Amino acid sequence: MNRIGTTFRHTYFQMKGQIIGWGLGLALLGLIIVPFYDIFGGQQDQFQQLIENYPEELLAFFGGDMTSVLTPIGYLKMYAFSMLPIIFGIFSVMAGSGLLLKDEEHGRLDLIVSHPVGRTSLFFGRFLGFTGAAISILLIGWLGFCILLGQSSLDMTWGQLAVPFVSLLVQLVIYAALAALLSMLLPKRSLAAMITGVVLVISYFVSSLVALDDRLELVAKFLPHNYYQVVLSFQELNLTWLFALLGISLGMVLLAWWLFLCRDIRISGEGSWQLPKMILKQ
Amino acid sequence: MNDTSITNQNGGTALKISGLTKSYGKVQALKGVDLEIKHGEIFGFLGPNGAGKTTTIRCTLDSIRPDDGKIQLLGISPQKDPIAVQACTGYLPGEMQFYENLTPERQLRFFNDMRGNSADWEYIRQLADRLDLDLSRQIKNLSKGNKQKVGVIQALMHRPKLLLLDEPTSGLDPLMQQEVLSLLRETNQEGATIFFSSHIMSEVEQIAHRVGIIRFGEIVEVADTSTLTQRALNRLTVRFKRPVELSQLSGLPGVELLSQEKNMIAKFLITGDLEAFVQILGTTPVLSLETERLSLEETFLSYYKE
Repeated sequence: MNRIGTTFRHTYFQMKGQIIGWGLGLALLGLIIVPFYDIFGGQQDQFQQLIENYPEELLAFFGGDMTSVLTPIGYLKMYAFSMLPIIFGIFSVMAGSGLLLKDEEHGRLDLIVSHPVGRTSLFFGRFLGFTGAAISILLIGWLGFCILLGQSSLDMTWGQLAVPFVSLLVQLVIYAALAALLSMLLPKRSLAAMITGVVLVISYFVSSLVALDDRLELVAKFLPHNYYQVVLSFQELNLTWLFALLGISLGMVLLAWWLFLCRDIRISGEGSWQLPKMILKQ
Repeated sequence: MNDTSITNQNGGTALKISGLTKSYGKVQALKGVDLEIKHGEIFGFLGPNGAGKTTTIRCTLDSIRPDDGKIQLLGISPQKDPIAVQACTGYLPGEMQFYENLTPERQLRFFNDMRGNSADWEYIRQLADRLDLDLSRQIKNLSKGNKQKVGVIQALMHRPKLLLLDEPTSGLDPLMQQEVLSLLRETNQEGATIFFSSHIMSEVEQIAHRVGIIRFGEIVEVADTSTLTQRALNRLTVRFKRPVELSQLSGLPGVELLSQEKNMIAKFLITGDLEAFVQILGTTPVLSLETERLSLEETFLSYYKE
């Protein structure tokens, strides 16, 4: 446990730049979006006209329809929360794929694992470090959303505003878990990040377009973004979805851990398996 | 090794490798390596690039998993209890890579933290002073040699019982090479067993008690360093003022004529001491003489060419 703690601490502090950068970026978004609601409310008619002119497809991507976008939660969903999974998903993908592969591809992991920390502690310490960093980013962001909440006409409490961040955190965890798993299966970190990134984008598009085309629902069911919930109370939160996503994340993390236990550590310049030349040529 | 002896040889085995095999895809890197290193011994591990030196060292630390064979490090199997093995060993990889934005001090604190803060910072500062390393400069601004010094310190800082060093003097200037070798000798005198790979004959001669040669993933010989030194090969190029009869030289035991030009320039390969050769050479009109001592590795591998 002590060794996990050491690795967690180092991982967390190594991510401090990302915590500050992503956290302040999100907080800044909150500081702009929350007071903007009053301007939005004051010019509701003009905005409604504007929104009516939006193509239906575009509105679908913002997770709203014309009626819900005028409500506080609809407004937040459209202008902030609908896009957060894809924006912060980039952080997750990069952090998850680089959890161990970043050090391995730089030739540092060989020396790190020669220290008496153990692969299990190293793996879980690092994943917990990422989770801690993701929580910190969302916490900073949530505070940014909350600071001006009392002075805006958005009728919600700090606690209510925390609920969509919980669902967002679960999204970040599942993409990081997928990236970590793929980084253990694929020969390069960049390949793992690319594939997880594709899943992230497809998930966002398909889940958004379900509102327009029911046939996509079958595909969307298998994509994480479909289970992203922007609601304002834990009662409204579908906990089954939430825990199912966490369970799948845990499964992927455990599989990645097992693969890490079984594999050789590469040193700088060493490759892993390669895609067959025929595929690469095409 | 000239004037040193095994300082702490208590008869026990510090590292025992038997039947170690490892393949990377179709390439068989190790083909049944057997080695036994005694407690308190300094063991030099020689071999050409790709012979399997690094693979052997990395197997002993559980960084890579052997296909077959057994390893016992201080009586512990690294595959069964890697943490116990790693706790009592110090490792210096062949290629040093660190977190470039850290200073050596912070990097060493990171490693020390991973070792449960078992290192003595007074000792770390002593090592840094001896190696003339500034602990406060960012690693990205350090030369290859200075990065190597950080690596040497991290390997030694917790006073391990067993040191596994992959080319410990790589990238260091000659003075620092000597300082590192002195450090290793002192560490050995304090009781540590040292297993190191090297390409430099002089450093192996200076500190190693025994030498093992690996080629194509197989150990071709393990012998005392003094035995190998006696078998050392010298390549001599002699230029004469006028043509001479070379057979008087090439006919000597242990002397092989490699090439000659008009009996004026001749290249010889000489095994063992040069006394008899030099005596005969003294009677000839020598214009110039160049000697080149072959590395232990070359010397050794010359016996196994065919």
